[in-house]
Amino acid sequence: MVHLDHINCILGGAHALTDVSLHVERGEFVFLTGPSGAGKTTLLRVLYGDLKPKNGAATVAGVDLMRLKSSGLPALRRKVAVVFQDFKVLPERTVFENISIALEVRGVPTASIDRRVRAVIRALDLEERSYAPCRELSGGEQQRVAIARSMVVNPELILADEPTGNLDSDLSRHLIELFKQFNTYGTTVIMATHNRDVLSWAPEARQVHIVRGQVTLPTAEVLSGAESVAARRGA
Amino acid sequence: MSTSKLMLRGVADMVRHPLPQLLTLVTVCMVALLAGTGLLILHNVQAEVLKTQAQARFQVYWSASSNMTEVEGQWADLKRVPGVAEVSTFTPRAAMAELMRGLSAATPAPVAPPADNASMANATASNPNDFSWLEGENILPPTALVSFDIPAGEAPEPWMGRMYARLRGLAGVEKVTYNATQLNLATGWIALIQHAAWPALGFFALVVGLVVGNTLKLMMLARKDEVEILSLVGARPWFIRAPLFANGVVQGFAGGVLSLFCLKFLQSWLKSVLDVPPLFLKVQFLPAWQCLALVLATTCVAGLAAFIAARK
Repeated sequence: MVHLDHINCILGGAHALTDVSLHVERGEFVFLTGPSGAGKTTLLRVLYGDLKPKNGAATVAGVDLMRLKSSGLPALRRKVAVVFQDFKVLPERTVFENISIALEVRGVPTASIDRRVRAVIRALDLEERSYAPCRELSGGEQQRVAIARSMVVNPELILADEPTGNLDSDLSRHLIELFKQFNTYGTTVIMATHNRDVLSWAPEARQVHIVRGQVTLPTAEVLSGAESVAARRGA
Repeated sequence: MSTSKLMLRGVADMVRHPLPQLLTLVTVCMVALLAGTGLLILHNVQAEVLKTQAQARFQVYWSASSNMTEVEGQWADLKRVPGVAEVSTFTPRAAMAELMRGLSAATPAPVAPPADNASMANATASNPNDFSWLEGENILPPTALVSFDIPAGEAPEPWMGRMYARLRGLAGVEKVTYNATQLNLATGWIALIQHAAWPALGFFALVVGLVVGNTLKLMMLARKDEVEILSLVGARPWFIRAPLFANGVVQGFAGGVLSLFCLKFLQSWLKSVLDVPPLFLKVQFLPAWQCLALVLATTCVAGLAAFIAARK
């Protein structure tokens, strides 16, 4: 699903990622850990095509990032969904509209949009707020809307950047359970976090530690993606 | 989703950000009004200058033996020629009366008559300013003094050439003269107006382009999050841009049309203020093509600016 080989990224004249290699197989759940400013977000930005590596080789969901042009970006983002710490929902639009937007851009027929969005809303326990503007929702509800928007398109890969950063412990745990649930259905999940509690709630997930733009812990290399999946499913 | 649906959505979404939309509309309207006021001044100065300065006068002489009924018919036709400002006609009798009146006014001292003209000698003997003796031997032809407003956009010399040929071609016309100095003056005024008009039009276009363009770009900041989210969920550029483009077009069109209403109000007010003694300045409204150009310019610039603003 993700194959990064010796990539380097420069941001503002400084190395944001240095010689990073990472291989994630389909169906894996991976935590990117490390202190603030370590390069977790930068790595995620590379993965959803917002930042182009300076050199190395990078492939995500079959898309070669090194050759990716702006015209190819929508195709990549239809395979890769992103969830952010600050939710990135449209406050003036309703829950339904925020979720359906991801299907509308794909040209899904209206009837199908209606059905799929309702299913996801039900799964995420947002039914009562379906037609409420997102500005009226709590942080946890807004984050569930963001997750619903990423789930409704059935992506191959979900990238989550500190999705629990603005939530309390109970809500955070609930969201991690949601990610685990979707991962069980085969969706690959890569989540950046520096919260140890979050890591403990998904002990079967592989952890990749990043410090100063470099992958420092050997877990990513020692335990291959396939082995990780097998181990997790065995557990 | 079809382009028309995307456009309609862009228009419908305008109500989601009422304040930025309203402020943008006011700005677009004010800038278009400013440009329109400039155009209004330019148009009226141009009209006033052309009315008073860019005139051409032809003195047309018919043959003395011309049939007066036929000539008077031609005079009536001349008055209907487009661009004719004034036609002063003189029958031989009227020309003679005019001549005598002129001579009388210009002759303070007795004029010595030629010795071989008895009637003249008798007349002047009784009254030195009496030229009635000329009437009996009237050799003056019918004439017409025709004044034209040189049409805007016409080069004076070729236009004069065509008009000369037209007058010269009238049946019975023997001679046509015109004042070359006046032609030069008219040419000068028209050149001056044209030279002043283009830089002014360019300036107004630049002002509209820059202010409307930047205002629309700023307005799009209110929809920045929407653009970002659409991009993140895999929307193609046209899916993102079409609603914004429609928003810009509506803003530009509405601002342009509103500015025309404001301009009409301004023109009516100026007319009531300036069309009084001793000014008698009749402030005219912009011609239709300039109104259309103003609305089109604001619409195009606003649409383009909105389209470009969503590039990233």
